[in-house]
Amino acid sequence: MASFNSNEWRAICDKFTNAQNLTEIESRNDKENDPFRSKYKARELLREIYCSLKNFEAGEGEEEGGGESGEQRPTEQPVDGQREDLFGQGFSGDSPAGLRAARLGAVEYYLGVNHVDTEELSAGQEHLMNCMKLLERCRVSSPNVSLFIQVRNQLGILWAGRDETETAQGFLETAESIYQRYMKEDGSPPTDMTEYFAAEENLLTHQERIKRFELAYTHTMYYLAQVYKNLGQTERAATYCHTTLQRQLQLNQFTPMEWALNAATLSQYYITKGRYMEGRHCLSAATVISDLAGEVPSEAAAQENETESERREHLRQKRAEIARCWIKYCLNLLQDAKKQLEDNIGELDTDRQEELKRARRREEEEEEKGRKSALLFGSEDTFDSIASIEEKVMCLFPLDFTEARSVFLVGQNHVTQAKDYFQMDGYVTDHIEILQDHSALFRSLAFFEEDLERRCKMHKRRVDMLEPICNDLNAQYYLMIRRQLMFELAETYNEMMDLKLALANRQADTQSLDNHTIKKFNHLCSASAKYFQMFLDSLCSPEGKFPERLEEEVLRPALVARFRVARLHSRLISTSPTVQLDNLNKSLENYKYVVQYCEANPEAGAAVETELELSKEMVGLLPLKINRLNARMDSNN
Amino acid sequence: MEHTHTLHCVNCHVMASRRVEPAESADGGRLAVRVEDKFVKIRNVKLDGRTEGAVDSREKLLEFCFDYCYWSVDRADPHYASQEEVFQDLGVSVLSGASEGYNVCLFAYGQTGSGKTYTMMGTPDSMGLTPRICQVRWLINTQLSFLEIYNERVRDLLKGGEQKKRATLRVREHPEKGPYVQDLSSHVVSDCKQAIDLLEEGIANRITAATHNHDASSRSHAIFTIQYTQAILENNLPSETVSKINLVDLAGSERADPHYCRDRLTEGSNINKSLVTLGIVISALAQNSQMSSSCQSINSVASEGDGSTVGSHSSSLSGGGGGRRHCFIPYRDSVLTWLLKDSLGGNSKTIMIATVSPSASSYNETLSTLRYAAHARNIVNKPRVNEDASVRLIRELREEIDRLKSMLLSFEMQRNPSPSLSDERDGNLSEIVLQNELKVTQGRHTCLHLPV
Repeated sequence: MASFNSNEWRAICDKFTNAQNLTEIESRNDKENDPFRSKYKARELLREIYCSLKNFEAGEGEEEGGGESGEQRPTEQPVDGQREDLFGQGFSGDSPAGLRAARLGAVEYYLGVNHVDTEELSAGQEHLMNCMKLLERCRVSSPNVSLFIQVRNQLGILWAGRDETETAQGFLETAESIYQRYMKEDGSPPTDMTEYFAAEENLLTHQERIKRFELAYTHTMYYLAQVYKNLGQTERAATYCHTTLQRQLQLNQFTPMEWALNAATLSQYYITKGRYMEGRHCLSAATVISDLAGEVPSEAAAQENETESERREHLRQKRAEIARCWIKYCLNLLQDAKKQLEDNIGELDTDRQEELKRARRREEEEEEKGRKSALLFGSEDTFDSIASIEEKVMCLFPLDFTEARSVFLVGQNHVTQAKDYFQMDGYVTDHIEILQDHSALFRSLAFFEEDLERRCKMHKRRVDMLEPICNDLNAQYYLMIRRQLMFELAETYNEMMDLKLALANRQADTQSLDNHTIKKFNHLCSASAKYFQMFLDSLCSPEGKFPERLEEEVLRPALVARFRVARLHSRLISTSPTVQLDNLNKSLENYKYVVQYCEANPEAGAAVETELELSKEMVGLLPLKINRLNARMDSNN
Repeated sequence: MEHTHTLHCVNCHVMASRRVEPAESADGGRLAVRVEDKFVKIRNVKLDGRTEGAVDSREKLLEFCFDYCYWSVDRADPHYASQEEVFQDLGVSVLSGASEGYNVCLFAYGQTGSGKTYTMMGTPDSMGLTPRICQVRWLINTQLSFLEIYNERVRDLLKGGEQKKRATLRVREHPEKGPYVQDLSSHVVSDCKQAIDLLEEGIANRITAATHNHDASSRSHAIFTIQYTQAILENNLPSETVSKINLVDLAGSERADPHYCRDRLTEGSNINKSLVTLGIVISALAQNSQMSSSCQSINSVASEGDGSTVGSHSSSLSGGGGGRRHCFIPYRDSVLTWLLKDSLGGNSKTIMIATVSPSASSYNETLSTLRYAAHARNIVNKPRVNEDASVRLIRELREEIDRLKSMLLSFEMQRNPSPSLSDERDGNLSEIVLQNELKVTQGRHTCLHLPV
């Protein structure tokens, strides 16, 4: 800067350093009741710098016309990317005019960010747009490319925050393409904006320049992920999140536990999409990277000192959360496999099993191919550890009991780990959710178990873990959880009843049935009915009245519960005609409820089509049966 | 992480109303907002004022419809809505909801400076909703607590004496007591004077900050909880029911933006190392994809029982047997959502008040608040009961119906009992269960002889 004398210039540089310091460091110590004190101070300094630069420019002559905000252009809503070729036209970045524009632009940029940070968004936008205008006269090159990208990042996230997603997308996609083209055509370490106001001796190393430039682009990726998410392009959004994580790891710009948790969360996205290979990769990386966060301080250490105590809490919680992500992986994999393998009554279809086993080889090859093309995480030192965790659990569907059991055991290990932190006292909801997953793991494993006795025992385990909790929880605060538990218990008892029946059928060939088996059967049948009824009772008003109109979210469960109670009552075995009659009447009453409710509320029918159809049939048939039983009792008397 | 879930959970009967407050009219008092009946109309004055020709075709006047809209800008205005008027609409419905036994929750949401605190708390000469609610006649055993959440930390606003220390309180869940704030003070009051004194004490302890936008901007969420016991008759026995009213003054909507996250320097995090809020974005992604993979909830799915359609059946039911893939999103709910869990779900009523500034300079922020509020009306986030696919049961029942029908038919035709089921000593339990019903239909025997 020829026209500044070195003292003037040094003063500007000092002001800039001060402003940076105020913004980034001192602002963190600002008091809660004066949160922007340092930022307001920084703003003043930036304004002074701006004036000095403008004065200098005025002294230089106005040959290029002012870039200031007083221009005649309307401040309409900006759309980016109008210019054909950001790389071909305008001042070169290192020409005096180009450098001047970049410096002024950088000050506008910092002023813009400052206003946004202090919740003056509209003013912030104006400054950022001024920066855009100044840059319009320049062409993208190493001295200014960073500013080109960062100003667009800021405008992108600003508009995104106002729900103007398309506007945001425009800025951010331009930033993305500027980066890509720059890296392709030039690629030299670009000047960082801070260097515009740094003395020679304070210029950055190439390495540091690259680091900062790449970080700016990581932000572009990250903001674009949000934009695509809000545009409903989830697949694309996930890819951008994945890329963001990958870049953080590669460029070593991450905090381990935070990164690990993000990767674990991303795995859940892949799992819901049925992409288990990617899900497993994210989880394995999460496990490896979370270890980088260090050892959990001992309980003794935590008692001694508060920082250690908080650290212990933090590490244990996050690791438990990652464990819960693993549980979901194992559970969904088992459940999806079950869906592939079951026949029309939910039993293992052995033909299908053979067919899938034959197809397996092909899949394994594809897995290899997929691995090679997927976006993989890892730096040199973590790559192997990630792979070794991946090897411990399959990502293809388990096709027989042995395979299913191996997935189950991994899941169960994570259950133990998660429960260790999320204990009942203090984390009621979390604890129960984990138990429900554990129960669901058993349920899926039972599907693969051929031995009915052992299968029944697995369901018994489910009952044992859920029943006491269901009965002990406060009914008011945990209404929804209890309802779910009741439904699950009812279904589990029903399942056990069916298994007892199947077992009895097998044994009956060789030995006759005993009272004990019938008692057992009736017990399971009543227990199932009891929990369905408990669910229905939970819908009652405080005065114990069943609602006349069922809320939309309980409509189907309530009608299904009625239907199933009806069915269960008619299955109870009794030798006494009076008891039989009583059971049949209860059954009829519940079938009738379903029919009558749907008559009174025709829209309900759609939610329970099959149940309604069957209930109607039973309402027609049961009275005949009851009449005959009555008649017979009369004739016997 | 306060932005993520804060308001996503307004899931009950959302009634949005708005309150328009005088803002510092930096732009010479040009107003961008008008209220007509139940509509709020917003005009982009900047666009409007431009020279003809340069005006683009973008929407200039937008309308939003709410249950109630209030205009509280200029007392001289004939349509001016006073605090009393707002109380008559909203405060009264809070009280009646609570007396019916609902947990009631009232939120105020809006940009800094748009008048949330004015609406909720008011000023000494113009009382807001909370003190007005406090003035109603007290029922037995009324307890008050008042807390604030700042940067996800909970602080007691009514812990006299120890204010300087302001310890962070832990939120926990107890199997019997439900969600609670450990060590939060609770104050029994017997008249409204005591209540208002406590309210004022708490307000004085809140963190406010002077910013260029607003000279006393609330930096924290504040929850004022009134809990009281009513005597009721349950099954003709005297019983007590506990009602809870949560009055929530949210921090400025700039800090509660649920949609976008920019990286800011937040405490203890180093922007150069981490993208602080990436996690929020990823969780939202996983959440959305979980929801879309299960867009057919158990309620919207007609059940199928036929073996032939079992494929589509099992893939549409939720729960263990269904096609819905449940995942775990490790990001904790914000403390606010967490604490209001029992007010936001189940047996509760929620009212949301959105406040906007009429000033033209706040056009974009106002628009975003209005859109958010309009959207919140439709947010329904009720938990669902999972259900197993009961394919087998339905198939069995179908078979049974067929058998019953054919038995009846043959009985009707022959008018005499079929001999085929005479063997009572068939030990097959399945058969026995089946016969249990069939025999009744056939009327052959009064009871079932079971092998001993």
